[in-house]
Amino acid sequence: MGKRTLIIYVVITLFVCIFAVMSGYSQEDVTTVEDSAFEEKMRPTVQFLHDEHNEAAGLEECDVCHHVYKDGEKIEDESSEETECSECHTLNKGDNPLSLVKVYHLQCKGCHQKEKAGPIMCSECHPR
Amino acid sequence: MAEPAMKQSDETGEIFDKGIDKGLARLTPEKIEQVINKVLSAETGARLKTYVNTCVHCGLCSEACHYYLSHDNDPKFSPAGKVKQTIWEILKKKGKVDHKFLKKAAEIAYTECNLCRRCAMYCPFGIDIAYLISVMRRICHMLGVTPLYMQDTAHSHSATLNQMWVKEDEWIDSLFWQEEEAQDEMPDLRIPIEKEGAEIFYSVIAPEPKFRAQLIYQAAVIFNVAGVDFTMPATPGWDNSDQCMFSGDYEMMGRLKKAHFETAMRLKVKRIVMGECGHAFRSVYDVGNRWLAWKMPPIPVTHAVEFYYELLKQGKIKITKKYDKPVTLQDPCNISRGRGLHEKARYVVNALCEEFIDMQPNREHNYCCCAGGGVINTGPPYKMKRIDGNRVKAEQLFAAKARGAKVVIAPCHNCHGGIEDINHHYGLDMELHFLGDIIYKIMEKPA
Amino acid sequence: MHDVYNFVSGPLVWVSFIIFFGGCLYRLISMAVLAKKKDVFVYEYMSFKYGLRSIFHWIIPFGTVKWRKNPILTIVTFTFHICLILVPIFLCAHVILWKESWDIGWWYFSDTTADILTGIVIACCVFFLIRRIVLPEVKYLTSVSDYVILAMVAAPFITGFWTYHQWPGCKITGIVHIIAGEIMLAAIPFTRLIHMVYFPFTRGYMGSEFGAVRNAKDW
Repeated sequence: MGKRTLIIYVVITLFVCIFAVMSGYSQEDVTTVEDSAFEEKMRPTVQFLHDEHNEAAGLEECDVCHHVYKDGEKIEDESSEETECSECHTLNKGDNPLSLVKVYHLQCKGCHQKEKAGPIMCSECHPR
Repeated sequence: MAEPAMKQSDETGEIFDKGIDKGLARLTPEKIEQVINKVLSAETGARLKTYVNTCVHCGLCSEACHYYLSHDNDPKFSPAGKVKQTIWEILKKKGKVDHKFLKKAAEIAYTECNLCRRCAMYCPFGIDIAYLISVMRRICHMLGVTPLYMQDTAHSHSATLNQMWVKEDEWIDSLFWQEEEAQDEMPDLRIPIEKEGAEIFYSVIAPEPKFRAQLIYQAAVIFNVAGVDFTMPATPGWDNSDQCMFSGDYEMMGRLKKAHFETAMRLKVKRIVMGECGHAFRSVYDVGNRWLAWKMPPIPVTHAVEFYYELLKQGKIKITKKYDKPVTLQDPCNISRGRGLHEKARYVVNALCEEFIDMQPNREHNYCCCAGGGVINTGPPYKMKRIDGNRVKAEQLFAAKARGAKVVIAPCHNCHGGIEDINHHYGLDMELHFLGDIIYKIMEKPA
Repeated sequence: MHDVYNFVSGPLVWVSFIIFFGGCLYRLISMAVLAKKKDVFVYEYMSFKYGLRSIFHWIIPFGTVKWRKNPILTIVTFTFHICLILVPIFLCAHVILWKESWDIGWWYFSDTTADILTGIVIACCVFFLIRRIVLPEVKYLTSVSDYVILAMVAAPFITGFWTYHQWPGCKITGIVHIIAGEIMLAAIPFTRLIHMVYFPFTRGYMGSEFGAVRNAKDW
């Protein structure tokens, strides 16, 4: 029994190692939606594979999501990849994080609803 | 009083009542449907609808009802249970109900509910179940399906304007007779008849001249000693009782109360003081006046309990020596839940008696005597049903007795009748008195 | 799935809220009109002071003899009704939906609190169900509609609980949850759930009669 258990442990450890290494590699890609403004998280972080999403959604322009607005108007050909959403979207200081949650939700879920593709229900983006 | 109307089937326990059974025999299904729907559409509205729609069938009203408690929590006797067997069914079938249903419904409405309104204090929504049962009674009345004995009193009301077929001359004669009797004790005593402009019109129920004439005697002594300026009319309208209110004959109820109020107006009195009767108070103060479109009675109405309270408080009657037997008090529904007189009643009892032992529950929460609401007036056929239906009153009285009470004071004629029967049947062996009895007994009288 | 979700979380919400508010308003107005026509004296006897006095006693736990006589039921029914109303209003996920649609927001329960309160509502529903089946005086009054109403009230909470915990089929229960909530809301005006709207009037009227006419308490 001892020998068998040992083999099982070794196999499991091996798998875990491979997985860890692989995910270490893919870390270079964007895999989650993070924002430092969310200090306390009520739900798990949203998993988001940036490149795969854009490929599936047929998105080529960055500014579809990483938009820049000035005086209420979207500025074409400008994008904001380097800024966190919360830098601009911390509008109503009082009811954060609700306002920020709202813009994230509308950005993702709103588009999915419109395009009739992609996750829309709570559990689809925030699995336990 | 072994009359045919009392017949009861041994096998089924079915009670035969000539009024109900013969009334039913006259009805066709079409007639039943037509009458029921006429009552529902012409006379009911937002209250019935709202009450039926609001009831969530929670059963919380059950423990309010003495019938339910006395029948070992049989759900058929719970307030909502009784509505289920009457009004719900009628609404569900849109009036298409059969004779068997109607017989049961009439029995429930007339003999299994005293309209005591205790359940309104136990229903979280304050649904007026007594009103719903009254609607059933109204339907029965319109169908001509009313208990014989009760209908007899209603007939008496319509023929004589009093409950007991007392003729005009008999009424006047009874007053003269009691005046003479009382003059042996108090030579200058008067029972002023037809005294226009008197302060007070003293009104009684017809059973007083009929077979409790000593109550008129006692009241006369109390009023004379206290120097009360009172009068009693010589004309119909003297009787304040009202079985028509209970049988569902509201037109007649209106006539009775009109005669009563008009008599008071004719005599130009300042107010009506009533004897120790609960249902009459309900009729004059609360129900009858409404039929006549008086929000409150057109003339102030004072129940005896409140009047005795005034006399004692103002020192108009004095007590020689307090009544020494320990007493308990039956709070009559129609003057406690119906007028909030329970505290004044306690003041009177404490002023008169050395030892007062309260019943449990008491005040607004006291159990009904099971005689009121016209139930005792359904007479011999339903007497045992009424007594069985209030075992809980016997238990309540036994408990008061165990704590020392020897006398029950019941300032209401119906309570008196009900408790008298309970007293005998359950072997309570307690004395039963009106407040007037005790006041008369212990008050200071001129030598 | 997107079409279904968009439909139940869009137009159907409108429909249910319109039915709920419109229906309640209709029921109230039709009651008032009918009362004016057939029970006009109700207006005469309705007393603001005594009506409120009675309502006040009855909405306080243990504020009446009846509540004191049945302590367990009192605790359950008060807890149930309070949670029933508070949880949907102050649930984080619901607040976020309001924020997304109308840009309005308010305080919300932590998820754990909401989870516990939802569990309590479900437990209370079970209590009421058992009470209906077991207690003779309740069973006697019970008809199929009583179970349907109870199920209608329990359904949004059960499906919500299930969905929140992301148990198997949670996408389906999520949709069912939304529909169940809408059904309950729309059913309020047209079932005995209307007691929610009628309570102040029936209780207030009885309180008025007892207080103003009869000089007595009705609790």
